[in-house]
Amino acid sequence: MKRKIVAMISCLALLTAAFTGCSNGSKGTAQTAANSTASEESAGSKEETKASGNIKIALITMDQIDQHWVKMNHGAQEEAKKKNVKVDFISPDTKDDSKQIECVNNAVANGYKAIMVAANGPDAISSALKDAKSAGVKIVYVDSPANVEAEATFSTNNAAAGKKAGEEMLKALKAKGTTKGNIGVVNVNAATQSCVDREKGFRSAFEGSEFKILDTQYCDGDASKAQSIAENYITQGVVGIFGAQEGSTTGTGNAVKASKNSGVIGVGFDSSDSIKDLINDGYLLCTMAQKPEIMGAKGVDACVDAINGKDLGGKVTDTGVTVLNKDNVDSAK
Amino acid sequence: MKDKSAFKKFLEIRGMGASLTAFIGLIIIYIAFGLINEKVFSGQNILNLLRSMSKYLLIGVGQSYVMITGNIDLSLGSLVGMSAMMVSTLMVGGVNPVAAILITLVCGVIIGILNGFLVGRFKLPPFIATLGTMFVARGIAYMVNNNRNTDNIGSRIGKGPADAFQQFFYYGKTFGVYNTFWIAVVLFILFFFLLSKTRSGRHIYAIGSNVEAAKLSGVNVFMTTVKAYVISSICAVVVGFFLSAQAGMGNMEAGNMYEMYGVAAGVIGGVSPLGGSGLLLGTFAGAAVWQTLENGLNMIGAQVGIQRIVIGVIVVLAVLVDVVIRSGKKIKKIKKA
Repeated sequence: MKRKIVAMISCLALLTAAFTGCSNGSKGTAQTAANSTASEESAGSKEETKASGNIKIALITMDQIDQHWVKMNHGAQEEAKKKNVKVDFISPDTKDDSKQIECVNNAVANGYKAIMVAANGPDAISSALKDAKSAGVKIVYVDSPANVEAEATFSTNNAAAGKKAGEEMLKALKAKGTTKGNIGVVNVNAATQSCVDREKGFRSAFEGSEFKILDTQYCDGDASKAQSIAENYITQGVVGIFGAQEGSTTGTGNAVKASKNSGVIGVGFDSSDSIKDLINDGYLLCTMAQKPEIMGAKGVDACVDAINGKDLGGKVTDTGVTVLNKDNVDSAK
Repeated sequence: MKDKSAFKKFLEIRGMGASLTAFIGLIIIYIAFGLINEKVFSGQNILNLLRSMSKYLLIGVGQSYVMITGNIDLSLGSLVGMSAMMVSTLMVGGVNPVAAILITLVCGVIIGILNGFLVGRFKLPPFIATLGTMFVARGIAYMVNNNRNTDNIGSRIGKGPADAFQQFFYYGKTFGVYNTFWIAVVLFILFFFLLSKTRSGRHIYAIGSNVEAAKLSGVNVFMTTVKAYVISSICAVVVGFFLSAQAGMGNMEAGNMYEMYGVAAGVIGGVSPLGGSGLLLGTFAGAAVWQTLENGLNMIGAQVGIQRIVIGVIVVLAVLVDVVIRSGKKIKKIKKA
């Protein structure tokens, strides 16, 4: 019994050390030393939290790891500094409806005045968002809206962007003299509305042409799975492959790289350092880069306006995409 | 024989020491987080905590039953997903919630019985057997709605029944506390009673401690194994209902990794993964510790990587302590003999 108590207390010391050393946000935790006596320091940290800007905004995205969300957080943090408000990035570690709902619930319980949310899907977190609204929290959608009315939405018009991607591929194929053949599509899953829209847009660009777009295969956002799928496509002799999001695009590019001179044209969506390298090296023709930083910044502005009582009327703003190809990829952020 | 005080007798119940330590740990952890962010103590946060803890509690109970028999059930997480997808797909297809619940329950129990057969009758190593059913159940979860997450459960049966389902399992409150918690507590009390007061319960401990001795004393090892796996499957199915009600739809990936959280909850509460000991009371504390950690780390803004590391460390420490104390007891017994 004694040994277990000792074990528990040492766990706690470890725990306190771990989170005080590494938690983000300026909650004054830098003061909290690596001891289990959090009580003395807490008085100081409580005061600091209250003083540093009384507007707290929660940014809840689909996960904490995808570069897209990291960039969005970056854009939001920059804007937050300018407007002297506090934005906390409290997303789940992986894309999981249940965890995202918990994050929303925690944000409400934690007293955030507004939530910027990129919903995993239009339905799953609707009830939780409704509860948040009744608790007086303002909702702004970034990247992916849900089925609950919000103050404003900042997202990419995915269908239009997908169509653009299709048009770019068509242009390149025509320039090569190819007028027919099979085209493969790699997507994340059949449930993420934004990606489903991109695919629809992409397919619409090929209507009336002699190209056949094969059935989509799903990689769950895993770049290595995407690469296997793309490699299979290349073996089957496709002339082009579309990656509908970051993981799919990275995998597609790597597959083209591995296939050495297959002549397959790869077009993607989203941007990351690996994708930019693949474009630079010529393995991907181009990618539709969304503007997550702008979504983050505009989201923060909308939250601040909404908290101050302005009626934004639920306006949906298309933040657009940039076509990143070899010519402009180096100058892109 | 000296007359011991009631308190001492209480402490001497096997496994009580571990459970109490877990509870003490829970209180310390909760207070520590609350001191850093006072909102942790807020009423709403406590309600949230109790609600989110319920799924780990149930999964922990299910996994504890199986662990006490000396086995493991890796299929729990997939069963949760299968249950969430099945009950949601049925409702989207127009089946009323009650029928959907019953059908899903039956299907889950079938998997539980299958596990029991594979381990108890065909003597497959539990890790392998339930690994197989884990993949099968997840596959079923994917196929139930043709490889897609389901639509909103109210799309065919209408908002009324759908809301009722969601309120009952997740959003509604009774006596001021979320229903989810009450459901978990009721089942917990039921299974606790089953395990500690009935003959089947004693058999479950028996085959975990020493399966040969149990067999020789007339315990039906096969039936007991099946019972444990059926209980765990029931727990998983109910958690599937929680998740389906929470999101208002079925998600193919629901319940991912939950079997591991079940192991963690049991182990932190003193259920030995080696079998034969542990109180469900400890599992309760273990699930509460787990959820408080998750909730607390989230509320203070810790990076998710830290959450994983902290939880992993605590689980390892808990098992280590269990192993150390067990070997300590063995040495004592040898010395006495």
